[in-house]
Amino acid sequence: MAGGYVGKILKVDLTTKNVSTEPIDEGVAKKYLGGKGYAVYLLYQYIKEYELKGLSPKDIDPLGPENVLIFATGPGTGVPRFPSPGRYHVMALKAPLTGSIGSGNAGGKWGTSLKNSGFDGIVLEGVSDTPVYLAIVDGKAEIRDAGDLWGRNIFDTTRVLTSVVGGKNTSVTCIGPAGENLVPMAVIMNDEHRAAGRAGLGAIMGSKKLKAIVVSGDQKVSVANPEEFKDVADRCLDALKKNPVTGEGLPTYGTAVLVNIINNVGALPYKNWQTGVNPDAESISGETLSEKYLIRKNMCWACTIGCGRVTNVKSGPFQILASEGPEYESIWALGSSTGVKDLDAVVKANHYCDELGLDTISSGSTIAAAMELNEKGYIPEEDLQGLDLKFGNASAMVEAVWRTAYKVGFGKYLALGSKKLCESYGHAELSMSVKGLEMPAYDPRAVKGIGLNYATSNRGGCHVTGYTIAPEVAGIPEKLDPLATEGKALWVKIFQDFTSTVNSTINCLFDTFALGAKDYGELLSAVTGWDISEDEILKIGERIYNLERVIINRLGFDGKDDTLPTRLLKEPMPEGPAKGQVADLEKMKEEYYKLRGWVNGIPTPGKLRELEIEV
Amino acid sequence: MVMPIVNVSAKILLFATLRDKYGVRELEVKCDGTVRNLLENAAKTLNKGFLARIYDISRNKVREDIIFTINGRNIKDIKGEIGIKDGDRVAIFPPLAGG
Repeated sequence: MAGGYVGKILKVDLTTKNVSTEPIDEGVAKKYLGGKGYAVYLLYQYIKEYELKGLSPKDIDPLGPENVLIFATGPGTGVPRFPSPGRYHVMALKAPLTGSIGSGNAGGKWGTSLKNSGFDGIVLEGVSDTPVYLAIVDGKAEIRDAGDLWGRNIFDTTRVLTSVVGGKNTSVTCIGPAGENLVPMAVIMNDEHRAAGRAGLGAIMGSKKLKAIVVSGDQKVSVANPEEFKDVADRCLDALKKNPVTGEGLPTYGTAVLVNIINNVGALPYKNWQTGVNPDAESISGETLSEKYLIRKNMCWACTIGCGRVTNVKSGPFQILASEGPEYESIWALGSSTGVKDLDAVVKANHYCDELGLDTISSGSTIAAAMELNEKGYIPEEDLQGLDLKFGNASAMVEAVWRTAYKVGFGKYLALGSKKLCESYGHAELSMSVKGLEMPAYDPRAVKGIGLNYATSNRGGCHVTGYTIAPEVAGIPEKLDPLATEGKALWVKIFQDFTSTVNSTINCLFDTFALGAKDYGELLSAVTGWDISEDEILKIGERIYNLERVIINRLGFDGKDDTLPTRLLKEPMPEGPAKGQVADLEKMKEEYYKLRGWVNGIPTPGKLRELEIEV
Repeated sequence: MVMPIVNVSAKILLFATLRDKYGVRELEVKCDGTVRNLLENAAKTLNKGFLARIYDISRNKVREDIIFTINGRNIKDIKGEIGIKDGDRVAIFPPLAGG
């Protein structure tokens, strides 16, 4: 087996409790690397198998036994001195919030520990009839009873299982009450505060009655060309250290440093995206977080950036002795989008999301949508059951979070997610989502390229599919005018392709602020022993993105779903630097499809042949 | 020596490490309508190092790594002549990104 891989995938059928091992297919690995790419390949094999059996992918119940959940590492994961290599990727055939493909990526140390336990990835099929957890220790996997753990929160579950399983490099990924209660915004949390979030991956684990996966062991990952790798890794780590973003900005302030600059360009969505200018941004900014809440910094396994924040709220109704975060998107969703300017409340709500296993972006956005529905008089008072959901009400926002996780009171409506919530009250237009997934913290009326990325992201409204904020706002690798549309389609495509490779490598997307495709080619060539050029890095990413697109086409998505909420397309930005602007999607989308070789959001047979995708 | 005519006033806002380094969140600065004079006058209140950190004097332009915005627009994105008008809001950021 090539360097960087352990060489084995664990396959678990939770219905039959059968556990087996399959070798990594080197041919597949060369085409799709690992992580997201390898998982997308495996998911497509399930699509073909189901279709042969007469089961249409459109009919798969995301919370049923046919759904498949995959945890995957890549050849860079767990390799010491590989830049930020502690990550893993989670993919699902169908996400409960969207009905599209499920995809999430998390840091911490669990990805490395999975390899230490003796496996590159885990494929989960079926559903258990009783709560269980999976323990993988030194290459052996066991399905164990989790009856005593069911109902426990993320922190308790993690600490109990770390102690019970013991061993070396032990790490836990698990669900909390939100996942158990099948909330479609539930996440999978590892190492207490790291989330594989978005679109309800945690609810899929909940539906399978799988409380946790504990991994432990001391299996080392070999590198094909150690001398070559040392040279390349040293150069890349030095570049990360010297880069002002990865060497100073992120370590000093974390991602929350974005609050002020995104507000400054008029792109910080406020009060459910009614405007892009938040008059209270300073009170929830990264600078304020550092000044008043930061205890110390934290970092994922072997990371040299260290953007994590350990924080507390010293006193008052939202007191917390110690938590992690909140990072930028969470501050925005729970603070700016809800009009809450009390950072104590935002830190508390973020902590609840981690404790109960909820996606901060979707939770905050859904609460914000409910606030607008309520302020416009669309929610009957009896539905709210005393919850005063008004913009800026900090205590109501915090209460709404835990009510969502437990589906208590109005929480059972919030737990639908913003799309179904707004549809149920007859105002679908107030859900700020794409393909049912709530969008993150950048308004496409003020930053045009990110709007095209949101619209064409396979998993739905997502920023990390193709983070064009880097060039459009930060000027990395070069400055683009955020209000221009010309040329943005190509940037979006390249960012989406490159990110697909990064998520299959796997290392942290933040490394790409300092490292480019050439660096990734050299790193992966040294680790695997294969010859991977800069062009091949982008081609692998394009292949992954197209096969993922083929899957969502089979799930029923096409060009009509590559769109944005009406508010962004029709309602001009009311104030700020982007005053009068709308999202300008259609022209960019037409150019994007041409560059992609897609017709109506569907890859052409010629494009698939060009990318050597067998369908 | 001819002194520049001081005839406009703008608000400068500093963020992130720049705020830490110069110990100021915002300040009102008078200038002759040029970016250079704005920063020169700000440096009198802050310190001399401020001008050199933000402005490349030898090339007579804002340093490449600095994110310099006037009323929310990055000066790299502004077409035509760049000047400071009375009441402008100038926000200055060090290199930063996240996500």
